[in-house]
Amino acid sequence: MKKILSLIMLLALFFMRGSAWAAQKNNAGAVDDLLNFDYMDDGKNPAGSQVYDPLEPLNRVFFTFNDKLYFWVEKPVVEGYSAVIPSDLRKCFSNFFDNISSPITFLNDVLQGRFSDAGTVVSRFVINSTLGVFGFGDTAKDAFNITTKSADFGQTLGVWGLGEGVYICWPVFGPSNMRDTVGLAADLSTHPTNFMDLTTTERIGYFGTNRINSDSLHPIYEELVKYSFDPYVAARQAFHEYRQAKIDRYRNTKPPKNK
Amino acid sequence: MKTSKSTVVFIGVVFFLGMFVQPVFAVKGPIEMMKPVLTKLTGLLNDPNLQGDVHRDERRQKIMETIKSGFDFHEMCKRVLGRTWRDIDDEQREHFTKSMTKFLENAYIGKLEDYHYKKIEYVGETIRDDRAVVTTMVEKGNVKLPVRYVLQLTPQGWMVYDINIEGLTLVKNYREQFRSILLKDSFTGLLKIIEDKNKSMEKNGKGS
Repeated sequence: MKKILSLIMLLALFFMRGSAWAAQKNNAGAVDDLLNFDYMDDGKNPAGSQVYDPLEPLNRVFFTFNDKLYFWVEKPVVEGYSAVIPSDLRKCFSNFFDNISSPITFLNDVLQGRFSDAGTVVSRFVINSTLGVFGFGDTAKDAFNITTKSADFGQTLGVWGLGEGVYICWPVFGPSNMRDTVGLAADLSTHPTNFMDLTTTERIGYFGTNRINSDSLHPIYEELVKYSFDPYVAARQAFHEYRQAKIDRYRNTKPPKNK
Repeated sequence: MKTSKSTVVFIGVVFFLGMFVQPVFAVKGPIEMMKPVLTKLTGLLNDPNLQGDVHRDERRQKIMETIKSGFDFHEMCKRVLGRTWRDIDDEQREHFTKSMTKFLENAYIGKLEDYHYKKIEYVGETIRDDRAVVTTMVEKGNVKLPVRYVLQLTPQGWMVYDINIEGLTLVKNYREQFRSILLKDSFTGLLKIIEDKNKSMEKNGKGS
């Protein structure tokens, strides 16, 4: 497993494009980007896109596949699930899934140098696992007003300065890129469910339920389709900006020095 | 002789100071401009006399009027089209602006109506030359969302041309979509796509 992971890492590094080191940003980076963006100019990229997407034809096939999967399978399941389980209970499940993945958030907070956030994750985990009854309640937030921002390994790599590389729309998993794929693989391999005595079916059941539950609470895909002219591009751009914003928030403030 | 000389100096000083003083009084800052617009918008959205489907048309008309006092739809439409804007004539630009404004109205007023803005917190403004960004925090449920407005200094004062909600930029996203469509399709084709979308949204909107 470790060998495969390091091989993927090497491959990913190979494919990363140069944009990584050039774009040193900080908290003001988001505002800077908004002020600097020239809508009337397509820049150096001949296709003009902000996202490097040489696999577009293949990605579009997977995007269509995911679209069918959503409307034919996922949506009916989500609707049935929502009809049976009231939203309060679904929120409890969501808390439970978040609580279980706390160790990953903690690890990535530390790797990104967000020590205060890491401490918050520990407090939340302790409070919610006990007073919150195994993580089903969010007592930390409701009673103590302790909240935290998520953290993942793709984001960590971005904070460290790695570019996003090639855009990939995975079947089932959806929008991603080289960096976040490596991140997801790392997060999944360190996920606490790996250290529990679970069969593969149980593990799939765990992640499947997590997804259906999350879909039922945040139906973002349908909104995206409804309000866009080219859902593939809308999703690609939204994913790119969303991830970039998550990374920019924690990037180092010092711009690179020219030697 | 002495008097006229000091008069000339006096007039000169007044004119010199006038150059600095005038713009300060003429133009409101970005936040100063945004505040009344957003306050009025929040008021309309929460007005009990305008709730429900019965008042839909009246409410939407008022919301749109308010939005247009702070948001520059012409600039939005120009930017959403990017480079292609330069290749089309005035008539096509007007046609496009009309259809696109209609789309934004259909799509986003509906969304705004779903939001119940409790409180808008003005975090800060950054001004660079004739552009500015106003950062606000909006409460939605228990979460605070960062909403940024991108503005340009126009003869009417600071006007919004893009909105960034939680890192996602509205006009920029549509610009990417349109550019991708225009790689394969003509401008007329794009116009038709927008108009078809408007028609289908209006049909669905009335049904609900």
